Amino acid sequence: MMPLRRWLRRLLTYPAVQGAGPFVLLVALWAVVVQLEIYPRTFFPGPQDVLRSFVNLVYKGVLPTYLQDSVTRLAVGAGAGICVGIPLGLLIGLHPASYRFFWPLIIFFQAIGDIAWLPILLIWFGFTLTTMTFVIVYTVIFPMIFNTALGVRTVPVEMIRAAQSLGASRWRVLVEVLLPGALPNVITGLRNGLGYGWRALIAAEIIVGTSGIGFMMFDARRSGSVVEMILGMILLGILWYVVDAWILRPAERATIERWGLVRQTP
Amino acid sequence: MEGLVIRDLSKTYYDIYMGQHVAAVEAISLEIAPGEFVAILGPSGCGKTTLLNMVAGFIPPTRGEILLNGRRIQGPGPDRGVVFQSFALFPWKTVLDNVAFGLKMRGVPREERDRIAREYIALVGLDGFEHRYPHELSGGMQQRVGVARVLANNPDLLLMDEPFASVDAQTRMTLQEELTRIWETRHPTILFVTHDVEEAVFLANRVVVLTPRPGRVRESVAVPLPRPRSWQHLIEDPDYKSLVARVLGLVRAPA
Repeated sequence: MMPLRRWLRRLLTYPAVQGAGPFVLLVALWAVVVQLEIYPRTFFPGPQDVLRSFVNLVYKGVLPTYLQDSVTRLAVGAGAGICVGIPLGLLIGLHPASYRFFWPLIIFFQAIGDIAWLPILLIWFGFTLTTMTFVIVYTVIFPMIFNTALGVRTVPVEMIRAAQSLGASRWRVLVEVLLPGALPNVITGLRNGLGYGWRALIAAEIIVGTSGIGFMMFDARRSGSVVEMILGMILLGILWYVVDAWILRPAERATIERWGLVRQTP
Repeated sequence: MEGLVIRDLSKTYYDIYMGQHVAAVEAISLEIAPGEFVAILGPSGCGKTTLLNMVAGFIPPTRGEILLNGRRIQGPGPDRGVVFQSFALFPWKTVLDNVAFGLKMRGVPREERDRIAREYIALVGLDGFEHRYPHELSGGMQQRVGVARVLANNPDLLLMDEPFASVDAQTRMTLQEELTRIWETRHPTILFVTHDVEEAVFLANRVVVLTPRPGRVRESVAVPLPRPRSWQHLIEDPDYKSLVARVLGLVRAPA
């Protein structure tokens, strides 16, 4: 017990892991509850059991594969969301005719949520990667479209006029003014889209069940391994935290906070 | 014909709240010679910003035409640089990149446009701030960037829409003096829209007073005050005072 705690304390002196502070407390509380043995250990395992399971699954090579599968699917979803969601958002945000054409369709298909597609996807594509990719891409693009479309409309008209009267073509106005001006909303869209997408992906993995963190968790039900379920839950949280802390937050700090478009977080 | 020629310019638009067509500007004719500094003065809502927006090419006129150096104005273009009341700087670009923007649009290579931009940044007294972002500057400094950005693009005509209305009174006086200094050395053609009588008389060679809505030209008043002008000297100057009184009378007279 003590070496682990000392190790954690030393880790906390690094600013990069200070965010872990609240979690250390949470894990400690968890350990105490387990130690009191209020619930049977099999149904309510402690941190050390989960850690052991983690090491074991990493050693067997199962966990790295599953992690890689889930993260790759998330990355594909993010990529597709950016490549499809942003251009579509720009189109409907800037082009009235496109807005009138696409808006009803987008609203209609948004209502048919990710999971509602699964039955038909399973018939069409079976228990495959295509099915899961479809679900996550589908979930990511809607918030990307909405927020990008909103973002370009928040750019003050005088900023566009300033660019035009400095000789900017329509294309340059788009690249130099509308896109950076829409960025706070685009990042919000990406954050929401990926957040929803991450959840949809886990659900899809549970149902499609071939690989991934979601699959691992649901598969653990068969062997009654509560440890692996909890491990899966923790990994979901950690992965999302990493995406936020290592990708989304630095991106925000380097752009919209640096430019003063949004106030800096404390 | 060189310079700006405005002929019989009118703008009416449909007011959705009133449910009828409203005339913002009516039959304005005006000529500005190259190198002239003209202030358009009028009460708020008289259509002076509408007039400037038509000259800038942001909105089309309902009737009449605008010619700059003989060419009919069809839309916004780099021959007319606009300085906005809200500054309208690009928050994602540094001072240097804001000022170099027009040159970049014209395809001037990086090194060359940075050199020119630095020149104009120095002209407006912002050396050392090249790599700051607009939100890190005060309002007065931001508008200096706005002026430098337009000057660096070397337009035939400078359009200024109440550029100093949103800075504090002291800064405003400094900016006004700096603008007269720039005009006195470089003689750019300027169309300056304001509702401030003292500002118009202080800056311009000629003050064009508009009537309340719909805006028409009431009178064009020459301002033969000597240059260089500074507030310290003009504030007590009897010629300046009598001109301000006369123009104020024109602005406040009923339609």
